[in-house]
Amino acid sequence: MNASTVRTVQKPKPNYETTAWKWMRYSGFLLIPLVWGHVLLQDIIVGVHKIDLDYVALRWASIGWRTYDTLLLGFAFAHGVNGIRQVLQDFVHSPVLRKWLNWGLLAFWIVIVTIGGIALIGGVRSNP
Amino acid sequence: MSSFKTTMIGYAGYRGKEGHVSFLLHRITGLGTALFLTIHILDTSLVYFFPQLYSHAIDLYRTTVFGIGEIGLVFSVLFHGVNGLRVAFMDLIAPKLWSIPKQRTSTRWTLIVTLILWLPASTIMLYNILRHNYGLFGG
Repeated sequence: MNASTVRTVQKPKPNYETTAWKWMRYSGFLLIPLVWGHVLLQDIIVGVHKIDLDYVALRWASIGWRTYDTLLLGFAFAHGVNGIRQVLQDFVHSPVLRKWLNWGLLAFWIVIVTIGGIALIGGVRSNP
Repeated sequence: MSSFKTTMIGYAGYRGKEGHVSFLLHRITGLGTALFLTIHILDTSLVYFFPQLYSHAIDLYRTTVFGIGEIGLVFSVLFHGVNGLRVAFMDLIAPKLWSIPKQRTSTRWTLIVTLILWLPASTIMLYNILRHNYGLFGG
C-alpha cells in the first residue's frame, strides 16, 4: 500500500452532516432497485405513449404499487434535496446565506413531498 | 458572487482526469435528475388535484423533444446509480480502494457499465419515439 496515494480521513464525531453523509449512501443502495425498476417499467417496458389517467388508476388500485411509489417519493426526493444542499454548500460560503438556503430547501422539500403524498393517498379523481 | 466564481473556476480547472470527470458527471446527473424528479412529482400529483390536466402533461412528455430528454434522463439515472454504488462501496466497505490508480480504473468501468445498460434502453426509447411520433415500424 502506497501511503501517498491512499486517502485517509479522521473519523469525525457524529453530527448532522455525518448522519446525512451515511444516509446518502444507504438511500442510494435502496434507490438502485427502486428507481431503476421504476424507469425500466414506466419508460422502457410500458412507455410514456401508453401512460394515461386510467393506467395510473389501475396501478394505484394495488396497495403494493402505492407502497412502492411512496418509498420512491420518500427516499428519492430526500436524497435529491440533500444532494442539492451539498452542491449549494460548494457555491455559497456565507454562513447567513447558507442558513437561509437550508431553511428554503427544507420548506421546498416539505411542500413538494406533501403535494406528492396527498396525491398518493387521494389517488386518481375521476370526477373533480 | 465571488464564491460562485471561485467554485466554478475550481470545477473547470481541477485536473483530476478520471476523478474530475466522475465528480462533474455525478453532480450534473444528480442535479438533472433532482430537477426532473421535482417536476415529475408535481405532474403526477395532477391525477388528484387537477385530473383533467394530466393528459396535457403526458402529451408534453410524448413529444420528440421530451423523448430525447427522457433518453438523457435515463443516462443520468444509470450513471448516477452506478457511480454512486462505486462511491458508497468504497466509502462504507472498502476504503482502501480510495487510491488514484484504483480510482482511474473503477471510473472507466463505471462508464462502460453505464453505457452497456444505457444503449439497449435508449434504443427502445428511440424506437418508441419513431414509432409513435413519426409512424415508423407500423406505428
